[in-house]
Amino acid sequence: MLRKPIFLAALLSMGVLAACAVEKGPSSYSPSGVKADHPALSEAEKLTPCFECHKEATPELYTEWYQSGHGLDSVRCFQCHGTYENMKRVPDEAVCSVCHSGEFHRKPAGTSCWQCHPEHSFSAHK
Amino acid sequence: MGLSRREFIKRTAALTAASCAGVSLTLPQAEEAQAFDADEWVRGSCRLCGVGCRVELGVKNGRPVALRGVPDSKTNFGYLCMKGMLFYKLMGHPDRLTKPLYRKSKKDKFKEISWDEALDIAAREFAKAVKTHGSDSVAYYGSGQALTEETYLFQKVMRGGLRTNNVEGNPRLCMASAVGGYLTSFGADEPIGSYADIEQATCFFLIGSNMAEAHPVLFRRVMRRKLDNKDAVKVINADPRISPTSRVADLHLQFEPGTDLALLNAMAYVIIEEGLYDEKFIGQYTTFRMGKKEEVSFEEYRSFLRDYTPERAAAICKGNITPDKIRTAARWFAKSNATMSMWTMGINQRKRGVWANNLIHNLHIITGQLMKPGADSFSLTGQPNACGGVREGGGLCHILPGHRLVKKDKLRHQVEDLWGIPRGRIPAKPGYHTMAMFTAVNQGKIKAIWINCTSPAQSLPNADLYRKGMAREDLFMVVTDIFPTKTTELANLVLPTAFHFEKTGVYGCTERRSQLTWKAVDPPGEAKPEVWIVREWALRLAKELDDPVIAKCVAPFVGKEEQYELPEAIWNEYTQKLTKGRDNDLRGATYRVLRQRPDGVQWPAPTEEWALKGGTYKKFVRGMDPLADEHAKDEKPYQFYGPAHPDKKLWIWLRPHKGPEEMPDAEFPFYLSTGRVIDQWHTASMTGRIPELMRANPYAYVEVNPRDAKRLGISPGDMILVESRRGRNLLPAKVYEGPVEGMVFVYWYDQHEDRLINRVTKDAFDPGSKEPEFKICACRIKRVSGPKVLKPYLASITT
Repeated sequence: MLRKPIFLAALLSMGVLAACAVEKGPSSYSPSGVKADHPALSEAEKLTPCFECHKEATPELYTEWYQSGHGLDSVRCFQCHGTYENMKRVPDEAVCSVCHSGEFHRKPAGTSCWQCHPEHSFSAHK
Repeated sequence: MGLSRREFIKRTAALTAASCAGVSLTLPQAEEAQAFDADEWVRGSCRLCGVGCRVELGVKNGRPVALRGVPDSKTNFGYLCMKGMLFYKLMGHPDRLTKPLYRKSKKDKFKEISWDEALDIAAREFAKAVKTHGSDSVAYYGSGQALTEETYLFQKVMRGGLRTNNVEGNPRLCMASAVGGYLTSFGADEPIGSYADIEQATCFFLIGSNMAEAHPVLFRRVMRRKLDNKDAVKVINADPRISPTSRVADLHLQFEPGTDLALLNAMAYVIIEEGLYDEKFIGQYTTFRMGKKEEVSFEEYRSFLRDYTPERAAAICKGNITPDKIRTAARWFAKSNATMSMWTMGINQRKRGVWANNLIHNLHIITGQLMKPGADSFSLTGQPNACGGVREGGGLCHILPGHRLVKKDKLRHQVEDLWGIPRGRIPAKPGYHTMAMFTAVNQGKIKAIWINCTSPAQSLPNADLYRKGMAREDLFMVVTDIFPTKTTELANLVLPTAFHFEKTGVYGCTERRSQLTWKAVDPPGEAKPEVWIVREWALRLAKELDDPVIAKCVAPFVGKEEQYELPEAIWNEYTQKLTKGRDNDLRGATYRVLRQRPDGVQWPAPTEEWALKGGTYKKFVRGMDPLADEHAKDEKPYQFYGPAHPDKKLWIWLRPHKGPEEMPDAEFPFYLSTGRVIDQWHTASMTGRIPELMRANPYAYVEVNPRDAKRLGISPGDMILVESRRGRNLLPAKVYEGPVEGMVFVYWYDQHEDRLINRVTKDAFDPGSKEPEFKICACRIKRVSGPKVLKPYLASITT
């Protein structure tokens, strides 16, 4: 299927900007496990690491991630958000517990990880 | 330079076909929702790299549903990389081999046969080769991914049963030079210290290692140490290629490939000339050596180093190396409270890999940056059980279990006595090392070979040459594996094996740490644990050859239930008998203890009491290492009791600079180097079947320095012919400020014939360690076209 590049870029920007609006909201509780509405990708486009497009589509998010501990240690987008078919705009919190099991079980009840550790930059505490 | 990423996507999108046939990358949509809803969590180790991350497999209704890290493990503290998170998906993968497959001729299609038929064929063919051509016409080629119990039993049957030392494995390709370095510098194999030194170190010297991608969870600890102590901790990254590892570096030393021996000697020169060495440590614990029996003086060492002034070394190293950078690196290294070096294949996969290891050890010995917390000369290992199974378990042609040399009569007879077989049964002559073994295959000298859990058809250097041998009709080749590979394509008999967590056994990771993985789920179809396969094969071999000694090799294991009892019985024999009195004493690391420990046991661990505390964090230190106390010859705090140095001292080596076997020239003007990416592992037979990982890195690229790309008119995504004197690849370009100018870099996991880079690499090897020089050869590159649609590729099997 041929695709017009400008259309693709526009779709990417729209989809991700919508996602940003939720992810980057004020320090309110963010729900987890919110399914994403990523624009359709061709099979070949699916063979591109997420950050390669998001470097341009959402440069601020990309930079936050790239400069974070996750970025330095090559924790990829799909590890938290899933990949195309099962992608979550806001990840299931359980995914944090894969690596941060101790912290996950110690955090106060009713709070999300990213209330204290801002998503993508993952600084120590907000 | 060139196209932006968006423009590149535009170009590739315009070329995109509607589907990408060949590899299934589809994910079930509802999978993640179930991921953490497990009935039980079963502990084990990660299946992939050599770090030894401790994991728990979530099981629901007998099926694997998730993996998570173990927070109280000292290897990973709960952290996992993407491979460690996702390898559970391989257990139920539709590509799994589930039935024995056989074909008489390699031109035929495979047909499914029963296990009885398969084992009879394997026994008959090996017996025929032995009877007709002698014991050395058969061979075993194993893996640093096999469990220790598996490697131990294979080599026992080959040596004690079939009377050949033709026992090798893929660790020869990755860490043999590190073994050589440890033995010749410290008198004992494997690192003195542990990962725990990372949190104490104030200077890291990372050379020839992209640990951010090859050992990501360990790199996290280095990164965290640096980020938490930005000014107090220095990181030196020495490598011809800028990589993600370089991002934490204070100083990046980018030299031309193959010039690191000059760099290391120059650092030693600065340390000596500026008086930064530890005179007391040198005086108490070291000697200087030109050869094994040729001792020289400190003054001769100083004189030798005068050929490596920073100015001379900078001229040899080129790249961004300046005399000042060398001086800075040397001063940081020597003056730090505790310096820890780490390296991998950039040092080991070299024509002079052992020498390069020696020269890193030299820096630690002359500065006394050893033995104290945070100071160590620490070789990273690439596979999960290269250390435990192969280095310790007798998985190479010249070593027997327990770090015993084949050629030493006393040690060989010890093993024969412990196995209860006649003395003289194990040949005194070491077998073929890996490159000699596959050369012998090419020459028709080997008539039957068993390849277990590895894919030499892809992973050997100059692969086309050796694939010709493997394709010979007069070679009977058995392959035991979980998936089709480039090597099963050349096999006569393919036997399906149980995967990690589908069987029980021990992995020993980089830091002398043995960890147990407990069977949690059943293997698919008729797949079987290797220990069962070897036992049953050996019993049939004994009948075919009418040789009761072969049966004797497996007699202690006959009748044992295969999932738990059998591996435990093998582990008990190996640890209680074969490691007793050896430097890797593991008698305390029983299954009972290993199941209690969150993170296994570090040897030496001679008693259960010691093992229950975790074993030995640092070797050779009295009060820390029980063997240091046992072997103490004097009151000194450090006792270097290693078996290879009769004088019980550390040896400082005078090793001159020596370049690679093949240098660029007018015809082949570029250096070619190869390496890994984080999302894929080894030959991608596993990671290539996990959609998230395959999508992240679906095919290999050739990385080209932007200045070279500009000169040659290469843009991102252009198709590039990479050609050496041995073979060629056609790869998409990644224009990247990574490799030093004049060098290209290719990822080696891709199985596609156009992108299988070991068709291009060179098979020169280190004369000491016999490890090939994968990291350096000469090539030329040429732009062939603009971007093309590429398809991920994995080998399949036709029945």
